[in-house]
Amino acid sequence: MAEAYLEENPQNIAQADMVVAIPSYREAKHVAYPTTQAALGLKRYFGDKKCVLINCDNNSDDGTKEAFFAADTEGVPRIYLSTAPGVRGKGNNFKNLFRKAVELKAHAVVAVDADLKSITPQWIKHLGEPLFNDFGYVAPLYVRHKFDGTITNSIAYPLTRALYGRRVRQPIGGDFGLSGDLARVFLASPTWTEAASQFGIDIWMTTLAVNNNVPICQAYMGRPKIHKPKDPSAELGPMFNQVVGTIFDLMASTTGYWMRVKWSKPTSIYGFGLGEVEMPPPVKVSEEKLAANFREGFARYQDTWARVVAPDIMTKLLEIGDLPPDQFDFPTQLWAKALYDFAVCHQSRRVEREELLGSLIPLYFGKTLSYVRKTARMSVQQAEEFIENECMVFEESKPYLVDRWGS
Amino acid sequence: MPKILIVDDEEHIRFLYSEELTDEGYEVVTADSGLKLLERIDAEKPDLIILDIKMVDYNGLDLLQDIRNKYYDLPVILCTAYDTFKEDMKSIAADFYVIKSFDLTELKNKIKMALETAVPAKP
Repeated sequence: MAEAYLEENPQNIAQADMVVAIPSYREAKHVAYPTTQAALGLKRYFGDKKCVLINCDNNSDDGTKEAFFAADTEGVPRIYLSTAPGVRGKGNNFKNLFRKAVELKAHAVVAVDADLKSITPQWIKHLGEPLFNDFGYVAPLYVRHKFDGTITNSIAYPLTRALYGRRVRQPIGGDFGLSGDLARVFLASPTWTEAASQFGIDIWMTTLAVNNNVPICQAYMGRPKIHKPKDPSAELGPMFNQVVGTIFDLMASTTGYWMRVKWSKPTSIYGFGLGEVEMPPPVKVSEEKLAANFREGFARYQDTWARVVAPDIMTKLLEIGDLPPDQFDFPTQLWAKALYDFAVCHQSRRVEREELLGSLIPLYFGKTLSYVRKTARMSVQQAEEFIENECMVFEESKPYLVDRWGS
Repeated sequence: MPKILIVDDEEHIRFLYSEELTDEGYEVVTADSGLKLLERIDAEKPDLIILDIKMVDYNGLDLLQDIRNKYYDLPVILCTAYDTFKEDMKSIAADFYVIKSFDLTELKNKIKMALETAVPAKP
């Protein structure tokens, strides 16, 4: 486990009831705003508690640390932590955070993304207060545009829900609350992997919280999450492999749990009364790019898929590959079963991990294209119902996974 | 025999649901408003609640919040004549959302699923 390389604690803070952390890498331009908003939230809603702001950084060379210390926090003390030079990864920043939270004997820890543009002081209240009311883990609940968060919508949410039986709508939302006790559990977990030390950390935390039967709630944020936007058809980079790889890794270590789960349960909601719901800004998506990425992968990965998925699933994948472009459709049941087959293959190591995860990406693009077309004329709410129905398909198809996993 | 608490301010709905769900083998108790609902739940210890949203004196979505805060995993099915309350994010704290109908097939299916739901207490 990577040790914190650098700590700057100018006020020598040795104990805190509540920590707000801002993980970062090269966020000098953005970090001041969430820092200031978080400080306002702490002053306004947790004024009776000892609080500290922590920037958990990957040794950024763009002045992130200086921008963090320069932000106006109205007297709320600050600590800067950094990984060693060359050690990157959001998960590594969180390891440093968990260590520090345990050392400070913090009761509650809230983490918010460094590039947030829509954070308000109420976000700190809503992510933090449940931790003083018997909840151990708080996931965010925002209104998102129907084309925002497609890895969440088509993989992380339906798969986590079907596997572990708890409906957490934004399991990789990026903004979380957790108890000091849970930080200790996270730190001691034997399930840390390279992927979890990177962008896999969000799904890793949510999955472990559910698996440890920690009381979970979803905090309503009131405003949409506005940060650096991403086109779902654009290059996914390593994030896809780290998130999906972490889900698959954890399936192996939690088999005894998820095999016993049937259907799913809702999760408590916290934090209403924020006035009218603000609608999220539109997210542009290129159907042409999605279609091209799917077609490209179709040609490249057919042989790999034939080694990963069951023969009847392969037949259906070939069928959708032959559909005329204007009639393209990726049925949800096919997607769920294909994804389950990929998880089984990951467990059996029949196909090398990077190739396996890489070959899933074009299918994900195809599924996203199908989703974009089906929801094109839907409102945000209608698209939400569409996703809920897809989750039911994942739950209904789960016996297929259970059969295949054990065979 | 699972016990179901029906919370609805319309008498004919309580009557219809009671008859049909009793025939399905459930034990049914009813409440005509949200008044002292948490105390009623404490006393009756139902296995599942069917909750109307738009009642004369109570908002079922607010009651749902109260129920969820006290009984983390008690199954609650929102049953309403209105599709529009789905837009309220509070509604996702329910296990299911069912539109009222004289055909109770969907409601019965959701009751069965909610009662079948299994999430292990410990890993």
